[in-house]
Amino acid sequence: MKTLDAHNTINIGDSFTVNQEVDKYRAIYYAGASGDFNPIHIDAEFGKMVGLGGAILQGLCTLGFTADAITTWVSDPGRLKKLKCRFASPVRMGDTLTIQGTVTEIQGDRAVLAVTVKNQDGVEVLTKVQAEVEKG
Amino acid sequence: MAIDKKFIGKTWPTMVYEVGKEKVKEFAKAIKSSNPYFLDDEFAAKSKYKTIVAPPTFAVVFGAKLIEPIFFDNELNLNLAMLVHGEQEFEFYDVVKSGDVLYSDAKIVNIENKEKLDVIAIEILTKNQSNKEVCKGIYTFVVRK
Repeated sequence: MKTLDAHNTINIGDSFTVNQEVDKYRAIYYAGASGDFNPIHIDAEFGKMVGLGGAILQGLCTLGFTADAITTWVSDPGRLKKLKCRFASPVRMGDTLTIQGTVTEIQGDRAVLAVTVKNQDGVEVLTKVQAEVEKG
Repeated sequence: MAIDKKFIGKTWPTMVYEVGKEKVKEFAKAIKSSNPYFLDDEFAAKSKYKTIVAPPTFAVVFGAKLIEPIFFDNELNLNLAMLVHGEQEFEFYDVVKSGDVLYSDAKIVNIENKEKLDVIAIEILTKNQSNKEVCKGIYTFVVRK
């Protein structure tokens, strides 16, 4: 991915794409780092029992991937000002996510990004994603 | 049983969290980041922040200190087995640096009772040791009935 440096100004139409593989143990790593040990994330049997068909990744891990794609693209993590989403569809271990962002609007000192996060089947796992970064 | 709307506005005591550099790195690795602002001491020391800074969604780590007592609140009595995270919103006002001491307050800002599920939204506002707001998170959870 081509990243911007601190001096780059963001323009309408600028975009990035990142692929993220959700490895078998990702929910466990994220549980350890975040403290979210809800068994629906780390216990496949429990996930089945409550009707989720297995373990699902923490939604905030998917949002973490998304925030990281954006902040890596703009280089400086302090430039991300707003991030919002709906956790629309479960992410499972073994999925490959594609995170795409495109600048659609400039509002004052902010650039508004349209972001999609899809799995390998093209299903949008996050919807209504809104992100705003400092234009630079 | 439906979540009682009378809990809208309920608050919890302020939680204090000191940001540790190695914890930040651990979190950055968990989201598979390779951003040197989060991971590389030498790079971070030369950056404008002069130290390791946290990834934006590290907010959930200090936020979790408040989410946990809410999840296990006897009065609210949430059915955790049926709870999933529905929506999330963050506003980032300032970067979180290693060494910062953060003060977070939580408040229930919305409860909705629907036919097959309840929705509960919790706002967490965090300030740093200089009393500067660093982040506001709105966590919306769905509890299936």
